[in-house]
Amino acid sequence: MAGSALRRLMAEFKQLTQNPPEGIVAGPISEDNFFEWESLITGPEGTPFEDGVFVANLSFPNDYPLSPPSMKFVSEIFHPNIYPDGRVCISILHPPGDDPTGYESSSERWSPVQSIEKILISVVSMLAEPNDESPANVDAAKMYREDRSKFNDIARKSVRKSLGL
Amino acid sequence: MVRFRSELVILISFLLTLTVIINAFLHKKQFYPSIVYLTKSNSSMAVIYLQAFVLTLLVGKLMNKIFFGQLRAIELEHLFERSWYAITETCLAFTVFRDDFSPRFVTMFTLLLFLKCFHWLAEDRVEYMERSPNITLLFHSRIVGLMALLMLLDLHFVNLAYAHTMAKGASVQLVFGFEYAILFVNILSTMTKYLLHTIDLQNENPWENKGIFILYSDLILGFIRVLLYLTFMSLMFKIHTFPLFAIRPMYLSLRSFKKSLNDVILSRRAIRNLNIMYPDVTPEQLSQYPDTICIICREEMTAQNGDNSQQIKKLPCDHIFHKSCLRSWFQRQQTCPTCRTSILRPPAPQQQANQPQQPPQQQQQPETEPATPLNNRIPTNPNFFINNNRNNIGSIPSDFFANMPGFAAPPLPPFAFMPPPLPPLNLNGLSDQDLNQMEGNERHNVEARIHCLRNISTLLNASMLQMQQYMNICAASSHLENLTQTKTSIENDLKFINIPEVTNKPAKESDETVTSSTNVKQVEEEDESDAIRRRRLQLFEAKSSSQN
Repeated sequence: MAGSALRRLMAEFKQLTQNPPEGIVAGPISEDNFFEWESLITGPEGTPFEDGVFVANLSFPNDYPLSPPSMKFVSEIFHPNIYPDGRVCISILHPPGDDPTGYESSSERWSPVQSIEKILISVVSMLAEPNDESPANVDAAKMYREDRSKFNDIARKSVRKSLGL
Repeated sequence: MVRFRSELVILISFLLTLTVIINAFLHKKQFYPSIVYLTKSNSSMAVIYLQAFVLTLLVGKLMNKIFFGQLRAIELEHLFERSWYAITETCLAFTVFRDDFSPRFVTMFTLLLFLKCFHWLAEDRVEYMERSPNITLLFHSRIVGLMALLMLLDLHFVNLAYAHTMAKGASVQLVFGFEYAILFVNILSTMTKYLLHTIDLQNENPWENKGIFILYSDLILGFIRVLLYLTFMSLMFKIHTFPLFAIRPMYLSLRSFKKSLNDVILSRRAIRNLNIMYPDVTPEQLSQYPDTICIICREEMTAQNGDNSQQIKKLPCDHIFHKSCLRSWFQRQQTCPTCRTSILRPPAPQQQANQPQQPPQQQQQPETEPATPLNNRIPTNPNFFINNNRNNIGSIPSDFFANMPGFAAPPLPPFAFMPPPLPPLNLNGLSDQDLNQMEGNERHNVEARIHCLRNISTLLNASMLQMQQYMNICAASSHLENLTQTKTSIENDLKFINIPEVTNKPAKESDETVTSSTNVKQVEEEDESDAIRRRRLQLFEAKSSSQN
């Protein structure tokens, strides 16, 4: 019998393919390695990211689900909570032990109750409502706060880029 | 492109070597002088060094083909990262041993680095076993072959270094000896992991003890590694100089040893908590839960009595999980995965009181609380019980005594213990096993029982004392009643002769309250109070005469 992390990832993959959440596709990149996933996220409607399809890679630790995976956008995306190199900074991906931002309550952090689906849904809602309180990308947060129209322009450009237009 | 260029480099180096050798032979015509010529000429030596380097790489590629096939991206990344550290450390080592610097020395270091790379790759490969759903026979034979080869080589080099040191005294060989010994320990740990993974793969059911085995093997091998480094450090310091290049690996091994020690401690604590504090869930109880998926592994929980691998535990917050899943989680976090209630804090006593009112599935498990051994709970919240005790026992008498002039409340014995917890109301709901568990025959159960009995006897003594006090008071109170009556009559008399202090005094009898309230009323009702006063006097005289 395979390791518990692998079995859980398989179970989640099965669940995600059977009842896929709207606007989200995710699965392992290769059949040989269930610990590296690729996900496609459509930008939520009514936001400047609308219609965009963003690619992000999820990489799972060996002790998943006891430790959270890490998520990194491959598509270029300008967003207050995404580091310029694509790493996603949301509380659900932080283990309760360490607190990089110093304000998150432990209730919104990682725990085995969370799942890949919940992470991706949180990321979609993060796209819709950026949190400029604890920015990973300071420039994006500043622009989001002070010059919303410019921010929206850049977001729309990234949408076009993500579609290869 | 890269491939093409590397092939070009290989080709050029071969051609160069060939020309250098042919050139030497053309000059000297004979084997021996041409070899001498080659070794004396710096430029031809440089070519030969380059050739050796290229050959090493080729051998590495060949070994890679044999034992690994295609390297994965993450393995390559690890390899490069570690190689850089190793090369830096090797350079540092060169500065330490600059007196011994020679081609032979460089060759030894290159060989060491070369073998180190394969150790890292083997480690990564074994780790990969946990990630991949399909492990082929080819994989197994490759990794076993590689590990056996590396082990033999390590042993051989350790042996060589040992013989050298014994024969010629301490030298650079000491460093190599220790390096290979540490590599040997590493390959041992890789092998243990491989064996554990393989056993796990053979089993149909998840093997819950695997984690424990890995923890302990890590601990033991980590300890050996730390010991080796410490010996090496002290030896080097004594005979040579401070081995700067060994600091980083030593620090790393110390840290990993500390971590594995910590892991073992946490895991032991988690297992103890699981075994002692939380009840198992039986199939009947499980059927009452609407959702029987363990949220940690996302698999259906099926309770089978007596089957250890699939035991289910219930936390005080009423969430259920696989025991093995919970244990690995508790090594990291001492909270419930679902609601994040801390499991180290036992439930507050108020919750215990509320328990019977909780949903029906709760009532099926009355053993939840009492299953906790007594001495486990005593230190957790002793104040609650002590305070409660004092109030319950102390409140009635202290009010009672306050109304009695001349009686001070006697000091109550301090109750520095808790009353025994009540057994569950409905014992029918418990199986024989549960009852056995409650009763127990281990030392702490017996201690708890004796403790309880002592508490009961102290409580009985205290109530005896109180009963005695109560009796005393009752006996005194009839006498006391007379005294109070005398006192009030005297007060009335005093009022009658209009002494203001007394009239202002708060009255004890209802009729007197009226008298003291207003002076006008007092005048109007003087006749009435006079009559009462006279009646009282008569009564008092009659009583005192009868007493005398």
